[in-house]
This record gives sequence, structure tokens and C-alpha cells, in this order.
Amino acid sequence: MNFRYLLLISLGTFFIYVLLLPKHAMIRKFFVLCFVSGMLIFALNPDWSTEIANYFGIVRGVDFLFYLSNLALFFIAFVNYLKFKKMEIRFAKLVRRVAMDHAVEMKT
Amino acid sequence: MNPGNPQENSGANQPADSRVFVVVRAYNEAPVIRDVVASLCNHFDHIVVVDDGSTDATAACLHGLKVTLISHAVNLGGGAALQTGITYALSKGADWILTFDADGQHAIDDALTLLKSLQSGNCDVVFGSRFLGSAVNMPKTRALLLIAARWFSNLTSGIRLTDTHNGLRGFNRKAASLLTIQQNDMAYASEILHQLKQGNMTIREIPVTIKYTEYSRRKGQASSNAITILIDLITGRLIR
Repeated sequence: MNFRYLLLISLGTFFIYVLLLPKHAMIRKFFVLCFVSGMLIFALNPDWSTEIANYFGIVRGVDFLFYLSNLALFFIAFVNYLKFKKMEIRFAKLVRRVAMDHAVEMKT
Repeated sequence: MNPGNPQENSGANQPADSRVFVVVRAYNEAPVIRDVVASLCNHFDHIVVVDDGSTDATAACLHGLKVTLISHAVNLGGGAALQTGITYALSKGADWILTFDADGQHAIDDALTLLKSLQSGNCDVVFGSRFLGSAVNMPKTRALLLIAARWFSNLTSGIRLTDTHNGLRGFNRKAASLLTIQQNDMAYASEILHQLKQGNMTIREIPVTIKYTEYSRRKGQASSNAITILIDLITGRLIR
């Protein structure tokens, strides 16, 4: 029971934090809020997750949430990978600019 | 061919054309770079060596040769180094740009033939093909990997080539200006094809000879990198 309260407080705090973030990236903010809201609802009403799981042909609600969490983690990892690749491109441009500025014309 | 003597296969000196730039990307190529670049210097006025963050004496080996040395502060990868060399050559007014590997696998004669074909004006880009020419001492695993890479590159780019991953290439100014290589690593070969196709460039292939040596085999890509290249290409399309 105590763990449930801890989970609720954590999710509630995260919900407020996301809500207070600046207005840019509204779509991302919307999806995160939907996800956290869903988690809050399932934490308050665990039986609901089983009902939804059954709808998708999964027996236990906890399994459904596990699959959902896996998908969310994969998505986050993928988005971060794309961000990393973008940063790599910018880094390459920087290194290239510096290298070209210091090009050495060697003579025999 | 001795990796230290890539000129072994070359013919008489050709008149150097001031508008031709040869880009050589090098990463830890100290054992062979001097001989490769020295033989290029006999035929071309402008050699641009991009030292891609080498930790050995690659740059020092070029001392006394008439080349332009561009040094990346850190190792970025083959694609990034190639883009650096091409960008520099374009900024210096290059009309034709050749790319030449630093590991001694290519023959100068092939580079000259490629340039001649490019300057004939029938095409914008010329690729060397070891499958039209010959590949001496090529390991079977490498051949299989290259065939798989060719299949994938042809499928994704819509251009049909026999050797998509040959380091000996030639671009005219128009084609080189189109290139914005973002794949720092080896996935750049497929990316180049995609960009050339987007720009409606005319591409030709000519037969070349690639001579694998103990040294070049050691320096080559590991077969396991094929998966990484595939992921890079897919994510590269998403980033664009």
C-alpha cells in the first residue's frame, strides 16, 4: 500500500513538472502528459488495466503495462539516438570548420 | 602490389591539370601514406590529404610533399573526412574532384583513366568498379559483403552500379557541390548515391583494379559493421 502512495506521489510530481515546462514542443508535452495520466489512472484503479488488457487479448493487466512500458522505453531510446545523431552531424561541422581554417599548404 | 609502391602500376607522367583536386582521406596510415601521396604528386597539382584524427605519424609522413593537409582534431569517420576534402577543394575552385584511398589499394593509372572519362563531359560522376575490372587477393567474405552492400545501395538509391563501395570516384563540380555527406562513418557510400540520384546526376562506371594487401585487409571494415551501417542509413533518412 505504501509503495502505491509513493508511486502516486512520484507520478503526480512528474505530471506537474511536465505541465509547468515551457510551451515549446507541445506535441511531445501532450504525449508525455497522456502517458503519465494513464499511469496515474492505472495506479488508482489497477483493475482497469486488466479490462483494457483483455480487450487487446492479454490476460493480465500488469503484462499489458509491461508491454506498454517497453514500447515507451524503446521510443525514448530511439528519439535519444536520433538526437545523438543530429548532435554528431553538428559536431562534424564544427571539427570541419576548424580543420579547414587551419589547413596547411605544404611545399616541397 | 606492394602497398608502399602504388605507382608500380602507373604509366608515364600525365600533364597535371590545375583544376583537378585529389582528395585522400587518411586515418592512421603512416606505413603507406607517403608512397601513395608521392605517386599522386607526380600526376596531379592539387592533393588534399584529410588526416582524420590519426594518432600515428600520418601527418608527419607527408613532410616535403606538395600537398594540402587538413587535420581533424578528432576522428570522425570516412564520410566526414571525404566531405571535408570535397568542401575544401570546391572552396579552392576545383572543377574535377577525385577521391583516392590512402591504403595503397588503388592504381594511379585507374585514377587517370577515371579523370579522362570524367573530363570527356559525358557524365557528372565516375565510379571505379572492381567487379568490372579486377580485385586481386580479395577475401571471399569481403566479396560477399560488397555484393550485399551493392544490392542494398542499388535498392535504396535507385541507381544500378556494380561496385557501390569503391573509394576511387570522380565528380565534376556540379556533382560535388550537391554532396552534403552527413553519415560520418562508412554508410556515406550509400548516402552519396542517394544524393546523386536526387540531383539527377549522370553516373558512369569504369573497370579498375583493386589490390588487396595484408595491410589493406587489416585496415578494412569488419563484416559486423554492416548492421551498424544499415541502422545509420535508416536513421539518416529520418534525420533529414
